[in-house]
Amino acid sequence: MNHDPVDVLIIGAGASGAAIAWSLLETRMRILCLEQGDHLPDIDFPSRREDYELARYAEFSCDPNVRGLRQDYPINADDSCITPVNWNGVGGSTINFLGHWPRMRPSDFRTRSLDGVGEDWPVDYHDLVPFYDMNDRNTGVSGLGGNPAYPNYTPPHPPIPMGKLGQTLARGFNEKGWHWWPSDVAILSEHDDGRQKCVNAGTCDLGCAAGAKGGTNFTYWPMLENAGVELRTKARVREILVDEDSGFATGVLYHGADGQVQEQKAELVIMACNGVGTPRLLLNSKSKLFPEGLANRSGKVGKNLMFHPLTGVAGVFDEPMKGHEGPMACSILSQEFYESDPGRGFVRGYGLHSGRSTTPMTYALGGYGIDNPIPWGAEHREIMDNVYPYLAGLTVVTEDLPEEHNCVTLDPDLTDSDGIPAPKITYRLGENTRAMLKHGEARAEEVLLAAGAKRVLPKGDKVWWRAGWHQMGTCRMGIDPETSVVNGWGRSHDVKNLFIVDGSIFVTAGAVNPTSTIQALALYVGDQIKTNIATLFD
Amino acid sequence: MTEHRSNTPQSPLHEILDVLIPANRDRRIPAAGELGVAAFVTEAAARNPALNSALVTLLSRAGELADGITPHTVRQLESELPDAFRLLLRETYKGYYSRPDMRAKVGVGSHPAHPAGYEVPSESPALLNELTAPVRARGPVFRDPTGDQK
Ligand SMILES: Cc1cc2nc3c(=O)[nH]c(=O)nc-3n(C[C@H](O)[C@H](O)[C@H](O)COP(=O)(O)OP(=O)(O)OC[C@H]3O[C@@H](n4cnc5c(N)ncnc54)[C@H](O)[C@@H]3O)c2cc1C
Ligand code: SF4
Repeated sequence: MNHDPVDVLIIGAGASGAAIAWSLLETRMRILCLEQGDHLPDIDFPSRREDYELARYAEFSCDPNVRGLRQDYPINADDSCITPVNWNGVGGSTINFLGHWPRMRPSDFRTRSLDGVGEDWPVDYHDLVPFYDMNDRNTGVSGLGGNPAYPNYTPPHPPIPMGKLGQTLARGFNEKGWHWWPSDVAILSEHDDGRQKCVNAGTCDLGCAAGAKGGTNFTYWPMLENAGVELRTKARVREILVDEDSGFATGVLYHGADGQVQEQKAELVIMACNGVGTPRLLLNSKSKLFPEGLANRSGKVGKNLMFHPLTGVAGVFDEPMKGHEGPMACSILSQEFYESDPGRGFVRGYGLHSGRSTTPMTYALGGYGIDNPIPWGAEHREIMDNVYPYLAGLTVVTEDLPEEHNCVTLDPDLTDSDGIPAPKITYRLGENTRAMLKHGEARAEEVLLAAGAKRVLPKGDKVWWRAGWHQMGTCRMGIDPETSVVNGWGRSHDVKNLFIVDGSIFVTAGAVNPTSTIQALALYVGDQIKTNIATLFD
Repeated sequence: MTEHRSNTPQSPLHEILDVLIPANRDRRIPAAGELGVAAFVTEAAARNPALNSALVTLLSRAGELADGITPHTVRQLESELPDAFRLLLRETYKGYYSRPDMRAKVGVGSHPAHPAGYEVPSESPALLNELTAPVRARGPVFRDPTGDQK
């Protein structure tokens, strides 16, 4: 293997790693991406197998602790009410993500000045708009223009069908006079560039065999590899090396497929390991210069971990809702309760997302992200025959505020198969979030009844356990090196040739799925690197 | 540890499974034991020591229950051996619903394997217009603190 120094070394081949590689392609620098997992040909996706649901509880679980594959690292979530979930391999978590694609809103970038909580971002919505648009085109995003919840924009493809479930709920929202809109989705509503449009089978977490879902395994990576970007798989980075004199990153140590440690030198190192993997790697990169972990003079690496805590409410209707027809997570989205309203007893807000129905096994086992089987016996028969087909549900997806005690640290005992310390999650729900969840459940119930539900199923009082899909805030951006890890364009305050582009640089979380913003931000950082190339390391 | 091997028809496991997921005769949906889920569970137990030990414990306790396998005695097993019972219940649901023939029987909630799917018509522009009209009529519902600076 050629270990000659490269110009740009990207760690992680997921959503953000792919986007920044694409942005830097035109510089003609030599780009290498190290990825701990491998390519996963779409022929191997479980969604093609007749017993596909079993994979969701085994080798294709979204929970790395359940999968336990060679490329996975375990995560100790004993001190958390939510466990992080992901995919490790080419495409990263866009392999099993659900493709819901809302943008963050302008107020999300100014929560301190508007609402007195969190911090303001050093960039704003309008800085990101060109990059949202660019990324939507590269990804193949479908949706309806003119959503009054945003400054005007139009997704490149028409919306996917809302279906009976979406239409029914939309009428319920209209009845209440509340905002809703067909969801923006990273899913094709029409054939595009060799990719097939969505076939509506609804097994999006098990790999989209149609290629309709805009995972970077289908979008950016084929293009990047054709263009000469080297993607070295089964390469797990253990440590980022730093020159003690200059304070610059010099490259990395990584474990190859055989477990042997290799060194790879680089001029520029870009981290794209997700909101848990990135702080883990920085904390494991200790040196004389950085005894508390690389780029961690602020002490903020790993702090302020944010998820989007969520819960669900389901109504039982008179007719089958056909919730199984269409992509799993997305039909319509209401942002009626997104902005702060002092009368509600909490700051910031949440979205009401209409998920479609999950598969029979997953429903019987408690639902996606939950381990709580439904009753057995006669009650089981009754639920599966007379409730399950008639359900339509809403999930309450809340904004999580940054709190320092919610964090990623290194576990003192647990390691991955190469002996690298595993991340440990310490996380508890804030009071503000609890109040939002309660408020959201009550509003979801109202809208389901307004939409015609005969009754609403009793709600569990817990947030979903396997709902750590969105991992943000653990290396946040900011102007002040004392309180943030990277500057306004993703460059470490402490190490001038080290950049971070994944969700760990989020300052606040918004209340929307983050990947469109993660990738827009990665493209923005790429653009800033190109703009500042002459003085990049000053 | 003894490996559990009892999956013959009418074995206690078969009977317990029939109680866990009973049949719907009107819709010709079989119960879990009838469907042969015992074979699935025993095969899973052969690969999973925790499940195997749960099965051994549950079946040995079931053998002691004078009334045989009824919903009542299964409830008793659940309250006496909750952890073991939960493992069996999960595996039963997995075995039952992973059967492709069951997806067809569950009917409306079935999901086909790729590349099959569903034909779902797109909403017409007129319908989208009608549905979104009240939302659009309210005008913008966002705050844009930096919009006029750009
Ligand atoms: C089940 C599920 C559903 C989701 N649904 C949605 C959704 O509907 N909408 C949405 O916006 N988001 C969704 N998400 C979240 C979305 O997938 C992530 O936000 C996004 O993929 C994050 O991008 P990333 O580049 O930060 O990390 P990832 O895409 O996770 O990529 C990180 C990559 O880094 C690699 N890596 C990590 N550490 C190392 C190391 N030490 N050495 C080498 N490689 C390393 C990993 O193997 C991985 O491939 C979902 C996620 C999951 C798991
Ligand atoms: S429902 Fe559509 S997006 Fe989801 S996996 Fe199937 S084809 Fe892909």
